Amino acid sequence: MIEVEALAKQYGNFTAVRGLSFTVRPGEVLGLVGPNGAGKTTTLRCLAGIIPMSSGSARIAGHDLAVDPVAAKRALAFFPDEPRLFEYLTVRQHLAFVARIYGVADYEALAAPLLEELELSEKADVLPGELSRGMKQKLVIACGLLHSPRVMFFDEPLTGLDPLGIRRMKDSIIRRARGGAAVVLSSHLLNLLEEVCTHVLILKKGEKVADGTLAEVAARFSNGEAGVSLEEVFIRATGGSEH
Amino acid sequence: MARALLYLRVTTLVNMVVHRVRRMRQPKYLVGFAVACMYFYFVLLRRTGALGPASPVAAGDRAMAGLVASAFICTGASLLALVRIAWAWISPEERPGLRFSEAEIAFLFPAPVARRTLIHFRLLSAQLTILFTSVLIAVFFNRAGFLGGNRTIHAVGWWVILSTFDLHLNGTKLALSRLRETSRHFLLWRVCVVAAIVLYAGAVAWSASGIVDAYLSRPGAGRGPAELVESLMASPAFRWLILPFRIVLGPYFSTGYGEFAVAIVPALLLLALNYHWVSSSEARFEEGSIALAEKRAAARAALQRGEAPKLGAFKPRARQGPFPLSPQGLPEVAFLWKNLLSMRSSLLGRRALVIVIVLLVWMASSLGPLLAGQARSGGADVYGPLIVGFCGMAAAYTLLLGPQIARQDLRSDLSNADLLKTYPLEGWRLALGELLAPTALLTLILWFTIAAAAAAVDPVGKIEWLTRGVRVTAVLGLCAAAPLLCLIQLLVPNSIMVLLPGWYQASRSRTAGIEMFGQRLIFGVVQLFFALLVILPSAGWAALIIFCSQHFLGACPAIALGAAAVLLILVTEAAVGLWWLGQRFERFDLSTESR
Repeated sequence: MIEVEALAKQYGNFTAVRGLSFTVRPGEVLGLVGPNGAGKTTTLRCLAGIIPMSSGSARIAGHDLAVDPVAAKRALAFFPDEPRLFEYLTVRQHLAFVARIYGVADYEALAAPLLEELELSEKADVLPGELSRGMKQKLVIACGLLHSPRVMFFDEPLTGLDPLGIRRMKDSIIRRARGGAAVVLSSHLLNLLEEVCTHVLILKKGEKVADGTLAEVAARFSNGEAGVSLEEVFIRATGGSEH
Repeated sequence: MARALLYLRVTTLVNMVVHRVRRMRQPKYLVGFAVACMYFYFVLLRRTGALGPASPVAAGDRAMAGLVASAFICTGASLLALVRIAWAWISPEERPGLRFSEAEIAFLFPAPVARRTLIHFRLLSAQLTILFTSVLIAVFFNRAGFLGGNRTIHAVGWWVILSTFDLHLNGTKLALSRLRETSRHFLLWRVCVVAAIVLYAGAVAWSASGIVDAYLSRPGAGRGPAELVESLMASPAFRWLILPFRIVLGPYFSTGYGEFAVAIVPALLLLALNYHWVSSSEARFEEGSIALAEKRAAARAALQRGEAPKLGAFKPRARQGPFPLSPQGLPEVAFLWKNLLSMRSSLLGRRALVIVIVLLVWMASSLGPLLAGQARSGGADVYGPLIVGFCGMAAAYTLLLGPQIARQDLRSDLSNADLLKTYPLEGWRLALGELLAPTALLTLILWFTIAAAAAAVDPVGKIEWLTRGVRVTAVLGLCAAAPLLCLIQLLVPNSIMVLLPGWYQASRSRTAGIEMFGQRLIFGVVQLFFALLVILPSAGWAALIIFCSQHFLGACPAIALGAAAVLLILVTEAAVGLWWLGQRFERFDLSTESR
């Protein structure tokens, strides 16, 4: 469960996000969309506890991120668009390290099927430098899923993945949401959001333009037309310009 | 085409200068620039007398000293050059290449540019660096009062030396590349050339040895090395044998413009000969240049990550962890495990580490008996204080410079800061975990210096109060304080990183200028200041407690009490520092730097 109330983030005089409120319940997948610079990544980084929010509050799995960040972080996983890995740790050593940080006692039993699912089993003893970008992305996902998070934040999760990897990633997100996870997903790939998300939130210049189920948001911007695509909704909602 | 390449080089240079001047608007660069200028002025220029008149040395003495020094410098420089060129033939690069940047390769290699033009471009690019280096050396290492000549002559002299060497080395590389491509007898060629170099060196040594023997066997041989140098230079065989080196070094050692005018002509001819050799080469250099550019880019990236750039193999190897990491327990240990793994890959292999530790322990343990054995001959009196002094210096350097070298902590994980902040850990625990590996390494070095110094101090027991008990108690106290001192010293650069990420990032840049040097000076001074701030009050308290309590408690308990007080202070300082660093790291956002 993710509960966000009046989230705001400022960098000096520049306001990246302001007055953002939304809720994601277990089993829901919220698609965060908006033009470049709308504040999507800033929102996700605030909610993952990477940067402090300037004002507002967020509760992750019942824990206030400002009051008890450690408990909140124990329940979440953040998947950045750019895979960040430790250069001198092999795939297997990454999992061992993350297991110790999160205290995952039976991590080896959990890691084996994860590596299998993400097609990393054969690369278990190689360093990140020997992995392709897609493989690195998969390793980040394996590390993030190892502690079975109840809340997941994906920032452009499909970047660098091959078509099969994209299919598996979509399936994985849907499966984990059905398993009770609350998921927030930021992407420019609107067809991905249409396939995966139950809800959508459109951001522009750091402010919420619309949110709700896909049908609700579509209805708001359809002007009475039937079968309006999310792409069309997005263009109408954001005024068709980047800012 | 040549004009386009010249335009590229000149525009790059101009833009670089303009960029450096413009960034002075930021205080971090301006302050760095000011500090560096002050350092160069007060420490180098004034001390070496580069801006003032030559030091007053009698003319005769100056000539004699100049002659001897010239001979030594010539011999050293010539030997170095010869060894370097011989090494190029002994161990040729797999794919020798010329130094181009990655951008130059991307734009110029696919462009309709003749290979010879590319070589010219490379030579022209090198000239800028060589010119700058020559002027810099001539300005900062003034020898006008010592060897004669003036700064203009020295600058041109350096330019001739560096340019000739650069050209010859590139010519050698290209010749080797060409031979590898075209000759079936590549190995035979190399053996012949190396044999020729060895024969040449042997001939020089043989021709000199006769003169040296004659000089040494002459009565009153102690007249001075100047006579030996004169004898050597009077020998026609020796003079002819070292002719190439005399030609290259001639302009630099000219004492006046007349001598310089005579010396520069053959030097320029030799330079032109080398230039022709390189520029007319038909060797393939493209693949080697690409590999070289990739290596340099990797070295630059390593530097920006806070690691020592490795000029050899850049590819890290997968290694086993330093110890088995169980999935449960203190999470700080996971960081120790990770950073030791990284340290082993980048600083020391496991085998090398074990050998070093065994050697150090053996040396420390055998030092006492060794010195005690020498006590009769007075060896302990001489070597003991020397060893103690050396250990003290090593310990000081470990505390001051160690944190700049052992960087497997938050600094090497700067690019992973976002990832670290998603971990369910309090900031101070994360900071502690990150600092454990370099603390362990520096502590090991400190323990060795403490043990060695303790063994070297009065090994035969002349000092009455230095009983075995006192010695053991003091060593244990110092050893207990060592990890805390290292931890606190490591807190300094890590705190600078999170407090002033812009400064820290800038100072890691390899495309640094004089202002970067100034920034590093500032960091060095801050490190020294904190070392004194931590050590002096603690040492003062310890001394006071020991002094006051030794009459009531006895020496050993007094030392133990003093050590306990020091430990309490250090633990408090370390705890406060870790808490503060953790708090700062939780609020740290590198992305704000680019806004």
